[in-house]
Amino acid sequence: MAAVPGGRRSGPAAGARFFCTAGRGLEPFLMREVRSRLAATQVEYISGKVFFTTCSDLNMLKKLKSAERLFLLIKKQLPFNVSSVSKGKIFNEMQRLTNDDPESWLNAISIWKNLLELNAKKVKLSQKNANPLKRKVGENDIIAKKLKTAEMQEIQENKECQVEKQIEEETLEQGNFTTKRDKSQEELQNDVAEAVDTHNQNDLTFRVSCRCSGAIAKTFTAQEAGRVIGIALMKQFGWKADLRNPNVEIFIHLSDIYCVVGIPVFRVPLASRAYIKTAGLRSTIAWAMASLAEIKAGAVVLDPMCGLGTILVEAAKEWPDVYYVGADVSDSQLLGACDNLKAAGLKDKIELLKVSVIELPLPSESVDTIISDIPFGKKFKLGKDIKHIIQEMERVLRVGGTIVLLLSEDHHRRLKGCEESSVPLNSKGSRTDKPGSTERLNPEEKAAISQPASSSFAASNQECLDGMPPFGSLVPVECYRVSLGKTDALIYKYKKSHSPGQ
Amino acid sequence: MKLLTHNLLSSHVRGVGPRGFPLRLQATEVRISPVEFNPDFVARMIPKVEWAALLEAADTLHLVEVPKEPIQGYEHDERFLRKMHHVLLEVDVLEGTLQCPESGRLFPISRGIPNMLLSDEETET
Repeated sequence: MAAVPGGRRSGPAAGARFFCTAGRGLEPFLMREVRSRLAATQVEYISGKVFFTTCSDLNMLKKLKSAERLFLLIKKQLPFNVSSVSKGKIFNEMQRLTNDDPESWLNAISIWKNLLELNAKKVKLSQKNANPLKRKVGENDIIAKKLKTAEMQEIQENKECQVEKQIEEETLEQGNFTTKRDKSQEELQNDVAEAVDTHNQNDLTFRVSCRCSGAIAKTFTAQEAGRVIGIALMKQFGWKADLRNPNVEIFIHLSDIYCVVGIPVFRVPLASRAYIKTAGLRSTIAWAMASLAEIKAGAVVLDPMCGLGTILVEAAKEWPDVYYVGADVSDSQLLGACDNLKAAGLKDKIELLKVSVIELPLPSESVDTIISDIPFGKKFKLGKDIKHIIQEMERVLRVGGTIVLLLSEDHHRRLKGCEESSVPLNSKGSRTDKPGSTERLNPEEKAAISQPASSSFAASNQECLDGMPPFGSLVPVECYRVSLGKTDALIYKYKKSHSPGQ
Repeated sequence: MKLLTHNLLSSHVRGVGPRGFPLRLQATEVRISPVEFNPDFVARMIPKVEWAALLEAADTLHLVEVPKEPIQGYEHDERFLRKMHHVLLEVDVLEGTLQCPESGRLFPISRGIPNMLLSDEETET
């Protein structure tokens, strides 16, 4: 189904098959992005994952903005039949993952090595030419922060029993565990080189990270599954297990809908940006919003409730030749935003104002684009003001300009003008209980355990749009439902059709 | 606050309307922060500039060599674009005030961020 084209020696030149995990609802953005940024072909998705083929190198792959993590695909197949009573039967099926088709494993490993080798060469070359003085002082802090996030995530994964084959009866001490992660991105390069040096595949060390969801998770734990597959790999290929510092990590996700095996390409998730010091809104969602906003060179782009400035930072990194203005009423948010802009090297590109969104000190029709995450929840009592907020945005936006908003369900209902007590759309929490899972799921994992994406995105978007009347001169043109982790939100795109009162 | 931003801001005190533009700038601390020159970007900003407002602001800051108006074919005139680049993007007002020309209301600029919040009485119902 997901065979890599070409034979054993096919490097990235022939095109390799990858997949990315994505927050629920971001799949259409990611599909667009891999097509346009990586010239990807054979792009397909399942809920929470997007599969594609590309010839891009690591540098290009690293630029993906709407994905959580990137994996090189080893195989993707239909789920195991868990209705069979015997555990042994299922374990047999698991072993067949490695035994039936060893070529796809060896193939993936060799493509992976080629990717790293190619990158190592390029890094060496660029290091020769690089000016070491270019590094900024703040960068170290950012990396430290990044690593913390990575650690946290890793620890959390561990808690959720989604990790680790435990062939040796080793329990990982926390200390060892963290030192493994204690690597700056430069050191990571050494790792890469190390991995590449292992030319003989027999010397390869590996670790299995297994994740089970749905019915399969009720039959056995992720550790059990990981152990079975790990042992099968040792037998089949003679690789050695190494939980602490393996050359390669094998990621397996077994669910009711599919069974996916891959190699994580980068240690740090794509979604944790090196240039963001303190994250506000999730970076992937911020980028997705900006990608809808049709930002053109020379435009005036406003985020009137910028918070820590995540949307503006994501936008300015991708579309630099633009005049960005961020506004907020809170001094602490503005200070945070200021720090973030400095850390991202965007102080020149983004101006900050202390301003209320319902009284913008800007002339009418002076702004080309507005992008904003409209706050919600207990902390913000903006519920009733939502109409005032959008009215003011409408005033300052030029005709033909674009507004992209992140709205809560509550905002959405208010804008629709109907206060019906509809069933909460986020009823998944109650269904996802499974052994060994904690309540705290990040969007990636939530996406992974959600139901099959039976309805096409287009259809569900149309549904959202149908109920949405124009707001004065603002006409809704696109709508996407995305997951923020605990709750869902809607990304709405409006266009200003005419000058009000004309 | 860059002068490009000053050029966009307008007073929003109740009842002031279009007469709230331009805000009168007073600066107590100005920094010239070098910004990478991007001729294409500057050229795209020129049509948006309100020249009278820009010249008035530049004058209060005693800036010299400020072009008096857009010249013919400015898109390809590097000398002109560099001057505009400096005035619009490199002059950074860190401390000072902005004053509504109609109502006289003062808005403080502190640490480069103008505070344009109005009190309850000043806002429209």
